[in-house]
Amino acid sequence: MLIVGYLVVILGCGFLGLFKAAQIKKRPKEIREMINALSLLDTEIFWGVTPLPEAFAIIKDRVDSPWKEFFGRLEEKINKGESASKAWITSIAEEQKNASLHAEDWKIIESIGKSLGRADKNEEHKHLELGQKHLTTLYEKTRNQADLKAKMWSYLGFLAGSAIAIVIM
Amino acid sequence: MIKTASSIYLPLQDISRWVADPIGKIVQEAFKNISSKEIIEEIRLRVNQPIAVRTDKKDYFLPIKTLAGNKEQTYIVTKEDLVTSLEKMTFSSIYAAEEKLRQGFLTLPGGHRVGLAGETVVEFGRIKTLKNISALNIRLARQCEVEVSGLLVSLMNKNKNFCHTLLVSPPRAGKTTILRLLIRHLSNGLPQIGLEGQVVGVVDERSEIAGMCQGIPAFDLGCRTDVLDCCPKALGINMLIRTMSPAVVAVDELGGAEDIAAVKDAIRCGVKVLATVHADSLEELKKREHIKELLTNNAFERVVVLSRAYGPGTIEGIYDLNSGINLRPIKKELPFAKSNSCC
Repeated sequence: MLIVGYLVVILGCGFLGLFKAAQIKKRPKEIREMINALSLLDTEIFWGVTPLPEAFAIIKDRVDSPWKEFFGRLEEKINKGESASKAWITSIAEEQKNASLHAEDWKIIESIGKSLGRADKNEEHKHLELGQKHLTTLYEKTRNQADLKAKMWSYLGFLAGSAIAIVIM
Repeated sequence: MIKTASSIYLPLQDISRWVADPIGKIVQEAFKNISSKEIIEEIRLRVNQPIAVRTDKKDYFLPIKTLAGNKEQTYIVTKEDLVTSLEKMTFSSIYAAEEKLRQGFLTLPGGHRVGLAGETVVEFGRIKTLKNISALNIRLARQCEVEVSGLLVSLMNKNKNFCHTLLVSPPRAGKTTILRLLIRHLSNGLPQIGLEGQVVGVVDERSEIAGMCQGIPAFDLGCRTDVLDCCPKALGINMLIRTMSPAVVAVDELGGAEDIAAVKDAIRCGVKVLATVHADSLEELKKREHIKELLTNNAFERVVVLSRAYGPGTIEGIYDLNSGINLRPIKKELPFAKSNSCC
């Protein structure tokens, strides 16, 4: 019975560590998804000259959460008459709790929405390209960090569980 | 069936969706104060000027209660108001409206047309775009239900076939409204006068006939009607004939030599033509350089002359150009003129 108890502690802590590792890996994944979404948006604006609500409707079907909900909110708000830049900010505020991004990530994403909808397609294209560039740099940085941290937490969970089991023994 | 002005308005309560917030509130309030007997035709926003509303009876500067001259309380439209309004009207996609800006107008859902004025950017003699918008003119659309079967009977020959018809009228005399009604009845058919439904092709160069917005027409043009939106008439007529096999082609505001040549081609192909042209009378029309060819060669079989003598839709005459007879010698208004329910 005692052995079962020790196993439960080790495995419990181990899974907690794995869960934390999975959460850490979400951040670069979400940044990558946003880069893809911006690339799609750029294509729709520059080549398709697609109005923003339609473009967001197309994008929301091609991305995962939380961006699916984010672009869905944007589409709805702009159709109701809200300006794109304001809708971008309010949608960020509403989706922040559902994402694994940090403050510095949101700062870059916020800046992308500032001039959305008021410029010609060349300006929009330049602005979106710049946003993608910043996010790509951030993605490289966070991916390396996330790999290391995720590995650390995976081992840490099991090690902590083992340490607790030894202490109890 | 004639509907009252209030019931046939396309959604006015949504006006605040399309303009800057302070303007929307003032306009909404003004609509409540304007008599229901007046028909609101336009809302004009000009930078550094008060908001103007034009009805069929008079002009107002908003807010109306300050008409007595209290300038301090008048709301003055700012440049930011116009930029915000334009952003709302283009669904925050000004880049997608570049072609419309170049042409100087937008169409909102419901068929409302917004005319734009500002600084033009000209390149190689052509307007490339419009920037620094200084004025917006929102023309409110209304769909009218009017009895036109009597008019249609005059436009058919003995074999119950529709004749090539030209509607002639000065501005705001109802020609586009009557054009829409004729298109719809030709498309759906009118069994009570023996008119069968037929395929109608519409070349809507300025999005005024169908009021298309993102591919959705605001006006009902009938179940057999195909619309080419924002297409030059000369190109559009040929395209429709080649691809959609219409029995009738309808266009608004015939103009230059290219339009006339395209109409002649359509007639040669056996397609009936229904068109409109700006003029005060048949005599004035006969002096027009390109149009007179169509009249003297009897390309058009019927000419309907409209005016505002008894309000929009007054028929001055319906001329059979083959015989030279005026089929409607007594000036008569269409029912909608008396109700003041249509433009």
